[in-house]
Amino acid sequence: MNDLHDDADTLGLHFFGSMTASISHELKNALAIINENGGLLGDLALLMERGRPLEPERLKTLSGNIRRQVQRADDIIRRLNRFAHSAQEPAATSDVREIFEFTIALAARLATMKGVTMTVAPGSPVQLETRLFQLENLLWLFLKHLFALTEGNQTVEFAVTEAGAEVVIGLRFGEGLPVEEIGARVMREGQSLLTASQAELQVDASLLRLKIPKKGAF
Amino acid sequence: MSEKVLLIDDEQDFLEVMSERMKNRDIDVTTASSAKDALGLVANESYDAIILDLQMPEMDGLQTLEKLKAINPDLQVILLTGHATVEKGVQAMKLGASDVIEKPADIQVLTEKIKKAHARKIILVEKETEAKIRSILGSKAW
Repeated sequence: MNDLHDDADTLGLHFFGSMTASISHELKNALAIINENGGLLGDLALLMERGRPLEPERLKTLSGNIRRQVQRADDIIRRLNRFAHSAQEPAATSDVREIFEFTIALAARLATMKGVTMTVAPGSPVQLETRLFQLENLLWLFLKHLFALTEGNQTVEFAVTEAGAEVVIGLRFGEGLPVEEIGARVMREGQSLLTASQAELQVDASLLRLKIPKKGAF
Repeated sequence: MSEKVLLIDDEQDFLEVMSERMKNRDIDVTTASSAKDALGLVANESYDAIILDLQMPEMDGLQTLEKLKAINPDLQVILLTGHATVEKGVQAMKLGASDVIEKPADIQVLTEKIKKAHARKIILVEKETEAKIRSILGSKAW
């Protein structure tokens, strides 16, 4: 049991590291654009001192660019904050689709890098009692191995349905992906998480199904 | 003589503002928002320096660097990165990058590195010309 806890902790650390590294890169990009817009304002002021006219519209555009990037950075930090808190939160009842949306937002930059489009199938809320961080971690494992195995231009759709005392999470992949291999890798690497959540993983052609008890998972 | 630079980054806002700042410093700058576009430009044009973002969709900076060097091994490529890990930096230098700069970059530092890259290119071109002249002189019976 201790070994499983240790494995889950190690997986959690890897997950936390991957997400914060990606988030810090996103922040750096926003900061770089703010930095250059600020620098350009300085350049224009110097040129104006030397007699080059400066149109007010130019200043409005630059100020708009800075505001947009500050908003972008603020969104990224809010996401990081929510993610960091999810690691401390005890088990609680949450809507699975909301967890999908949040995990997708966390992995969005990495998905763009790999040419993967992620969507959530529409539907009514499905409640699951779970530790948010653990479920996010499990979903991330699927994405991580998808990103490792794809050659780009791929899709994955997250879906959820209720089946009695269980929820069934479905990940439907686009054509040409080795779905069985993704499933096998998740089973190998995520054994501690699958055991802790009493989840059962099934592979069905282009679909991976994860059955999790509605109560007491993780 | 103004330096001719190719700036490659998938962030359009970054390309626009950085290229304007470079132009204000008399740098002749062309931009590309993807590795594919950049490779097409490099195949047909000569640049004194290439500023390349390390993390881009489809083809990342290191893959792009390899392909750029395959087109012209003498290209002076400066990598611009938000992820300044030692490992990536070493990998980039091994693949022939001239320099690695962390984002947000200081324009003064970047401009100096572009000038140094330009100077290195001039030396390489001079050496190449000298080697050609020596080869011609050696092959002719005067």
